[in-house]
Amino acid sequence: MENEEMYQLLIKMKEGDEQAFHTMYDATFQDVYRTVSFLVDHKQDREDVMNEIYMQMWTSLANYDTNRPFQFWLHGLVIRQVQRFRVKSWRRFRIVERIRAFSHEESYLDEHTALMDGTNQMISQSIRKLTDKQRTVIIFRFYHDYTLEEIATLLDIPLGTVKSRYHAGLQALRKYLGNLPLERMEKINDY
Amino acid sequence: MTIERKIREHLHEEAETMECPPAISKRIEQSYSHYLQRKRSEITMKKRLIGGIVAAAILIPTAAFAAPVVIDMLTRAPMTSEQVKLDEAGKATLEKLYSAFPETKSFEIIDASYLGDPNDSTKKVQLSIVLQENGGTGKKITLHTNGITDEIQDLTQENWEPKEKPLITLPDQEIKGKVDQLIDKLYGNIKDYEVAMEQMDNPNQKTFILNYTKKGSGGEGYQVFVQGNSISLAPVDFEPSNAEVEGYFSRDGKPDYYADNFLNDEKLFALLKMSPTELKEELAKGKSVVEIAASKNISKQQVIDVIARTQAEGQLQDGKNKVTISDDLLKQMMKEVEPKVVHIIEHKTETKW
Repeated sequence: MENEEMYQLLIKMKEGDEQAFHTMYDATFQDVYRTVSFLVDHKQDREDVMNEIYMQMWTSLANYDTNRPFQFWLHGLVIRQVQRFRVKSWRRFRIVERIRAFSHEESYLDEHTALMDGTNQMISQSIRKLTDKQRTVIIFRFYHDYTLEEIATLLDIPLGTVKSRYHAGLQALRKYLGNLPLERMEKINDY
Repeated sequence: MTIERKIREHLHEEAETMECPPAISKRIEQSYSHYLQRKRSEITMKKRLIGGIVAAAILIPTAAFAAPVVIDMLTRAPMTSEQVKLDEAGKATLEKLYSAFPETKSFEIIDASYLGDPNDSTKKVQLSIVLQENGGTGKKITLHTNGITDEIQDLTQENWEPKEKPLITLPDQEIKGKVDQLIDKLYGNIKDYEVAMEQMDNPNQKTFILNYTKKGSGGEGYQVFVQGNSISLAPVDFEPSNAEVEGYFSRDGKPDYYADNFLNDEKLFALLKMSPTELKEELAKGKSVVEIAASKNISKQQVIDVIARTQAEGQLQDGKNKVTISDDLLKQMMKEVEPKVVHIIEHKTETKW
């Protein structure tokens, strides 16, 4: 959808037009959900983050920069909410410590990943083993095809930092994926 | 195949298999309708507020309150915390706050802005400062100070109670005690005031309204709302009404003062070529102001302009003191108040607001 059109829609939605809300939601929820799912592992957490993101749409419309594409603004919201959530979850992690650590392991087994074949499952898990920072860069680079410069703006960090996270992320993925012989890969997926 | 390509293909493939659970969509939809309700209840809130005033006004039925309708302007000029500390009104406000609540000295000014001429901070109608505690329960206090008289016009105190036990869950007497304390510290002489506490019929959120009236006065005092973990407080002036007519509309057979503030406007009477009494009679027949105007070949926009200008200019003065601002800015303020004006001039008596 055109940027201008999206912006008008957002304004209408903020003013209380339910139709506008539905149009906006339908146009965006798949993309938002998928992005969030790549970045957040837990199902319940995804729901919370999604909800926060949409609530931001009507509370922080004032920050909308009409010179930038709508997608860019939307992904900015996504990133900020995911980051906010991580800060929170880190605190929670400290409280529940080990117990939480176990349930974290389990969450790798998502319903949809269970249906994928071995290699794909491998990639999927490897991406989840990246640090949060590397993972964000990798997802926005390869899923949304942003340039590294754009990612730097989105994350509000220097380009150099993005580059180093990007390379470290790729390096790690290579290690996880490249060095595994095929047989071993299958064995792992056997459990 | 390069690893980059593999990852890209994989991510897109994986994305295709991800379906957003309907539960999420439902929840977001609910959040939105919550937001709508709150947005709408802001109007109801004002209405209730007038209801509260009417209840208090039984004591002194011949006068009306001059409830300030603060116009939200897009052009609030931001200020840094240094600017606030150098600003006269800012200094005065902070001093008041610090002496009332010494602990707030350690709070950080997290937001500040003023309403007025963005190019000249001496021409301001209202100064707003938000302070928040670092750590603790995140106590937060929002102050709106009259830029002309340096009086604190409106104050919101949040998170003074622990999150697990928000203010509203306390027994009524304790809530009242907390509000008493707040007024006493900030404005003093709480003993001179009588208070009426009432729970509002707001189905979404438990809300109390407390009307403090100074004993023996015409009715000046404070109006306080308690909701969730916050107290909002505003001093209310009481001006003996010189209006000929009150309660232009009625609701359930009782006079409804809600619109008086907008309709008691000399310029409006002049535009309509009607006396206030005539206007009230016409409204009682079930016509809206717009319809009355139309019957005299006066457009809706003309009516809006007249009322909006009076309201906007009203914001810029306090008694004899006045702030002058540019025409452009005044127009902008008029634009802001327009929706409220439209709401009133399209209203028909005995219908829901």
